[in-house]
Amino acid sequence: MTTIAAPMASRPRRAPLSPPLVYGAAAIAFLLVLWFAATAIPGVVSNKVLPSPFDVVERFATLAADTFSGSTLFGHAAASLTRWLIGVTVAVGLGVPLGVLLAWLPPLRPAVTPVFELFRYIPPFAWVPIAVLWYGASTTTQAMIVFIAAFPACVINTQLGVAQVDSILLRAAKTLGAGAATTLSRVVLPVAAPAIFTGIRIAFSNGWMALVGAELVVGKQGLGFLISQGQINDSVSTILVGMITIGALGALIDVVLQRVQRLLLPWKSATTRPVA
Amino acid sequence: MATRVRSFWRTPPGKIAWLAICLGSIVVLLGAWWYLTRPGGGISPLFLPPPDEVLDAFVRLLSRPYLGSTLGQHIAASLEVVMTGWLAAGLVGLPLGIAMGWWRKARWVAFPIFQVLRPVPPLAWIPLAIVWLGIGESARVFVVFIAAIVPWVMNSMQAVYSIDALLVSAALTLGANDRQILTRVVCRTALPTLVAGARISLGNAWTTLVAAELLAATSGLGYIALNASRTLEIGILLVAMAIIGVLGALFSVIMQLVTRIVAPWSRANAEGA
Amino acid sequence: MTTTKAHGPTAKMDIRGVSKTFDTRAGAVHALDRCDLAIREGEFVVVVGPSGCGKSTLMMIAAGLEAPSTGQILVDGKPAGPAGPQRTVVFQRFALFPSETVAQNIAFGLRVAGVDRAERARRVTEQLEFMRLSQFRDAYPHELSGGMQQRVAIARALVVRPEILLMDEPFGALDAQTRTVLQEEVARLSREMNYTVMFITHSVEEAVYLGDRVVVMSSRPGRIKKEIAIPRDAGWRRLDIEEASSEPGFIELKREIWALIRTEIVRQ
Ligand SMILES: Nc1ncnc2c1ncn2[C@@H]1O[C@H](COP(=O)(O)OP(=O)(O)O)[C@@H](O)[C@H]1O
Ligand SMILES: [Mg+2]
Repeated sequence: MTTIAAPMASRPRRAPLSPPLVYGAAAIAFLLVLWFAATAIPGVVSNKVLPSPFDVVERFATLAADTFSGSTLFGHAAASLTRWLIGVTVAVGLGVPLGVLLAWLPPLRPAVTPVFELFRYIPPFAWVPIAVLWYGASTTTQAMIVFIAAFPACVINTQLGVAQVDSILLRAAKTLGAGAATTLSRVVLPVAAPAIFTGIRIAFSNGWMALVGAELVVGKQGLGFLISQGQINDSVSTILVGMITIGALGALIDVVLQRVQRLLLPWKSATTRPVA
Repeated sequence: MATRVRSFWRTPPGKIAWLAICLGSIVVLLGAWWYLTRPGGGISPLFLPPPDEVLDAFVRLLSRPYLGSTLGQHIAASLEVVMTGWLAAGLVGLPLGIAMGWWRKARWVAFPIFQVLRPVPPLAWIPLAIVWLGIGESARVFVVFIAAIVPWVMNSMQAVYSIDALLVSAALTLGANDRQILTRVVCRTALPTLVAGARISLGNAWTTLVAAELLAATSGLGYIALNASRTLEIGILLVAMAIIGVLGALFSVIMQLVTRIVAPWSRANAEGA
Repeated sequence: MTTTKAHGPTAKMDIRGVSKTFDTRAGAVHALDRCDLAIREGEFVVVVGPSGCGKSTLMMIAAGLEAPSTGQILVDGKPAGPAGPQRTVVFQRFALFPSETVAQNIAFGLRVAGVDRAERARRVTEQLEFMRLSQFRDAYPHELSGGMQQRVAIARALVVRPEILLMDEPFGALDAQTRTVLQEEVARLSREMNYTVMFITHSVEEAVYLGDRVVVMSSRPGRIKKEIAIPRDAGWRRLDIEEASSEPGFIELKREIWALIRTEIVRQ
């Protein structure tokens, strides 16, 4: 006997944010079909403005096999990834220890605040002209932009992660006779690790985004360079292949990092919100 | 003694100590800058000019047109593009994000599209914009729009989606219909978060605009920076960077003020967060 | 299954054969099993039971915020519609609208019902006075203590003149002293206004003090295990809770109910 046929206005708010995939897949498929139709029906969109999906796939194959503007697609991707890796490695290597220091030794915070506030609102990209002046069209220039984009997220999230460690834990460690070094390595860092890792993930993604911008302006190789060459040659399909590759690599980096995070840090993630 | 030293390092400084350390740090930085860039100081003025030269550059920018426009005109050009792109993105993104947060079918359909688009950096759209629209203002507006719309949509969606379900239940039992709940309860409660999304969006728009101006512009702050770099006028370049930074900070402050005005009840305001 | 004497034409709200099964990722959760409960006009019914036994679920169904898997809710003998001001709810977590002042929160139900401004102002002012909230009229919820917030929530639920007031552990989130004050306040309310109330709690003392009838639920899946009438003319009715709880009759009832709940907790 089921009554109360009245409409249930309560919404299933507890449903996970990730939706049933069919809807999204259908929406994306619809857009692809629309894209294809627009390019297939003559007179709607010129191929010069928007090539058909098949042209893009074909262009992808060509770029993967043949040299374009100095190297194949993979060569460009490898160049970008190398610069990115250099930049983010330095950012993590300096940013995480600095974040720990700032959280662990509070008087240091006001000392770095002026610099941090000064640089915080200057977009990484605004550093490109001066980086070019300093280091020319070199890997250092690109890596520096990556570093500038990645560094703050490392510092801030590490600091938040370490600062939020419950002082009761610290006192407990002290009463158990742990010194500063032991407390830091055995208590603080494991608790802060999820926040730190989240910071690293944001840093990696910020660095990747900024690198593309830097490569648009300077350099002779890289995915950003590839799309800027596509622009110069009026080849929209090249640009699209470049954009898709950049997006796919960016997404891949994040997926891999999420996996690694789950593997390395299976315990519950920190409660603080990550800061981008 | 040892413990006293330790406890100094382990305690957050008070307000006055904080200010003193801040000021000290600024003085040290300026001093180091001046000392290292003085004649024979080890750093070439071509790498980093001394502070007074940067100040001169600022005065020069203020008093004389640079690259055909006054500083005010350059700033106005940048602001115009960023505001147009950001507002246009908001006009689309805010309602779309709210709809996606409220109607799960809308979310199911549209969210994956944004998830696919999101990893492509807004900057990567610049070449496409140039091919499609040329190096005029419309290309820059387009790129700013792309950069701004994703955070508009994502944050608005999150803001609406994460409204406490109990508030909706309470409104239902008090007799509100779906439309009243959406406008009177959900959107109003989400307002601070919606404004926060707008702020993030404006930050992204600004960042991206500067990039677009390096590539496709004939005026604007990014354009000044790139030209100064080509002509080795580092002082001007640094001033342009500083103005970009100051305006970015200003946007952030203004948006925080907006939150305070439109949502005086917000707990975040009370806590100064 | 216990049959209720209150069944019949006099029942204000009739919960009939209500079962509820939640489909979760971990499998089906059987929360309620054929619950029957009839509440007469003007009656104050308190539902007690071990935590997790389905009390809140029963209330959500009674409010129309959740659909039962089987069974139905009748109000005045007719199937109850969707959630609405006929049955207002006071939640444990207050659920005040953070963007509205105290007065606006209380006016909410009147405004969505299209009550005109003057009438709205009159009734809100009256309610503010009744709940002793007048001086907080323009405060925002986050500026109030928990006890004050819950007073506002009660005022907001009462101002629309519901036929039935549903309260789900309304004092569960309050400290002991505030809770005592509010318990006495609610006792006063129901005495003066003769509301029909379904009140959920896990405090046996609260149940005996406030209820005309205490309904004990079994552990999950929740069933109505036993109903105990509290004499309307009991001597402690007019005392405050501190004094009441030392009356022999009160202690006797408390012991009886507690024994029932204890067996349920042990059975889990
Ligand atoms: N929306 C839901 N989805 C799945 N399980 C639920 C849901 N709501 C309640 N439950 C489960 O139903 C049981 C009864 O919950 P509840 O009614 O909140 O108990 P009580 O209020 O008596 O403590 C619990 O085991 C709870 O986990
Ligand atoms: Mg409950």
